[in-house]
Amino acid sequence: MTAVTLAGAEADPRRRLKVLASQEALLAIAVIGLAVAVGLYNPRFLAARNLSDVLLGNAYIAVAAVGMSMVIVSGNIDISVGALIGVLATISGTLAVNGAPIVIAWLAALVAGVLVMALQGVIIAYLRIPAIVVTLGMLSILKGGLISVTGGKWITDLPDSFHLADIELSGVLPFPVFLMILVTVLAALWMRYSASGRAIYAVGGNAEAARLCGISQPRTIVMVFALHGLFAGAAALLYATQLRVIQSTVPPNLELTIITASVVGGVSILGGVGTVAGSTLAAVLIAEIASALVFIDVSPYWIRAVQGVLILVTVIADILRRRRMAGA
Amino acid sequence: MKLGLAAAFLSATLLAGTASAADKRWDGADDLPVNPLACSAGEANAAPAAKPYDGGRPTNAADKAGKPITLVDVPKLIGIGYFNATSKGMQDAAKALGNVTVKTDGPTEAKIDEQIKFIDNYITSGVDGILFAANDPVAIAPVLKKALSKGIHVVGYDANSTPDAREWFVNQAEFNGIAKAMIDSMAKEAGEDKSFAIVTSTFTTPNQARWIAEMWAYAQKCHPKLKWLETVEAQEDNNLSFNQATTLINKHGDKLAGLFGMTSVATPASAEAVTKARLCGKVAVVGLATPNAMKPYVNADCVKSVVLWNPVDLGYAATYVMRAVVDGSLKPGATSVEAGKLGKLTVVNGSEILLGSPFIFTKQNIKDFDF
Repeated sequence: MTAVTLAGAEADPRRRLKVLASQEALLAIAVIGLAVAVGLYNPRFLAARNLSDVLLGNAYIAVAAVGMSMVIVSGNIDISVGALIGVLATISGTLAVNGAPIVIAWLAALVAGVLVMALQGVIIAYLRIPAIVVTLGMLSILKGGLISVTGGKWITDLPDSFHLADIELSGVLPFPVFLMILVTVLAALWMRYSASGRAIYAVGGNAEAARLCGISQPRTIVMVFALHGLFAGAAALLYATQLRVIQSTVPPNLELTIITASVVGGVSILGGVGTVAGSTLAAVLIAEIASALVFIDVSPYWIRAVQGVLILVTVIADILRRRRMAGA
Repeated sequence: MKLGLAAAFLSATLLAGTASAADKRWDGADDLPVNPLACSAGEANAAPAAKPYDGGRPTNAADKAGKPITLVDVPKLIGIGYFNATSKGMQDAAKALGNVTVKTDGPTEAKIDEQIKFIDNYITSGVDGILFAANDPVAIAPVLKKALSKGIHVVGYDANSTPDAREWFVNQAEFNGIAKAMIDSMAKEAGEDKSFAIVTSTFTTPNQARWIAEMWAYAQKCHPKLKWLETVEAQEDNNLSFNQATTLINKHGDKLAGLFGMTSVATPASAEAVTKARLCGKVAVVGLATPNAMKPYVNADCVKSVVLWNPVDLGYAATYVMRAVVDGSLKPGATSVEAGKLGKLTVVNGSEILLGSPFIFTKQNIKDFDF
């Protein structure tokens, strides 16, 4: 997509059309179009309060999907992230209730996230074990470890100052929404304009060519996973601080929701293609659909089916686009 | 093309939305027969068909009627608030009875193999009776049967085994009892003619589906003006429950006067959604939950009724039942048993003792519980 457009294409008059046809533009149109359509059926949907609640309650998914998008662009996958978010939330909450300074409790989630993911990156990159196998193993370790250590006991009595997600910047902008936008913009700029950001596309798109260009594939993969861990830590903090209790279990199917956001956002499951702007818009769209289904009185049985349709449609469109490009 | 498809799909699902008939069961209810309790405590409840005693019997148990007995209590695990509370109830009962010594001992993790080892050790060392809350109803059966075969009395509470592996089981709450407590609380707090919605785990989760069916039946019978709006699914997921409850609040606006949380996850999350929407006092939250997760909301006056059972009473009742079994005052075929300060408890389902009406945690009593 835009990210792989060659330098020469900047002058191409067809580029403007291409931008409109990009996954990001389609998603933005879908987000707005859906809001208008549901708003016509039930105007309450468009209330500022509802729109803000939809963003607020799902910002953590978008933040985690930024890291996931980098991982998938680099030609890998991570199915351990949902379990990791559960573990990081528990670590942070446990520190907070045991009297650790709140800042330390927050930082611990970020640091532990980076360490666990970097370790997986090292195993994947240097021992050349497929990411799906490594992260599947980590998923089991984290899931089993969490339940063994906590016995499923909930964390309650969290101090009020722990609740990062309750902060409203200038009294209006909820912190989770701010963080979602900030992380997306910074990551998008970095991936598009910095050498290390471009290296992710190179490694995921054509590893051999990247090697010939002097890009270290293993180092890039470890870097991507470490960053992904940082974003998982941030997502865990939003997840943990939204409610007064932390469940101390792994959030069900969270990794699938996060991967769905990346894939629907236009990140090619084959690697090398996609943007974090797309994954954030897709995370917003998925959250919006879940809320819209309740508003238009559709049985909630359909929510997962609709998500599935979105994935299939996006992946088929991606494959067709690639074939057309290959044929042209 | 993608958008067109998505739009077509959405509109198709829109058309598929079914119009609900007035007498149709609420979404999330099962189709099993319902047995709503009487509206007020004074009326007699329709008794379900009596079932013959299906518990086990100890072989050649020593006659210790009226004599001091030593019991061991092996819960699912020790060291958590819930089983500390049942254990306290047992000590209270032992003190009240005067001729019972009971000791709680068990695994530190809820593991069935560990629990079996503990029970086996106490069979070897010799006790007069075993109280248990099973980690697995089937896997625990052989060791309990071994205890019965050695003449040791066996009574369960909280989590049952297969009936023939123990003599009696103290059942903390029946579905129609919970349903009555939930609906009565909602009618009282939201108002008789107000509208409410339900946040459940999934429409097919057995316990939740049973409770919703009984709530529907009891509301039809006793609070017919209370209006059900809809049921949403939220798995057992904190954040999803919060998002779903928030969506319900935003969708229905002033019309929504109450939210039911059907799981210990959905109830605190619904309370959080009402708190964040600054609607405490305007939207009542009634639900099944454990006290610790609900304390912030109950203490802030945002939630008035948390429905569950009292684990202290559960342990107390189990000890009285064991004493009655040893004394011979509770025999197969009995219809009730005396349980000290709890009064007369009813026998249900052949070999189960019903603890009584569910317990409602309020601002006054919630601080006394830690689980």
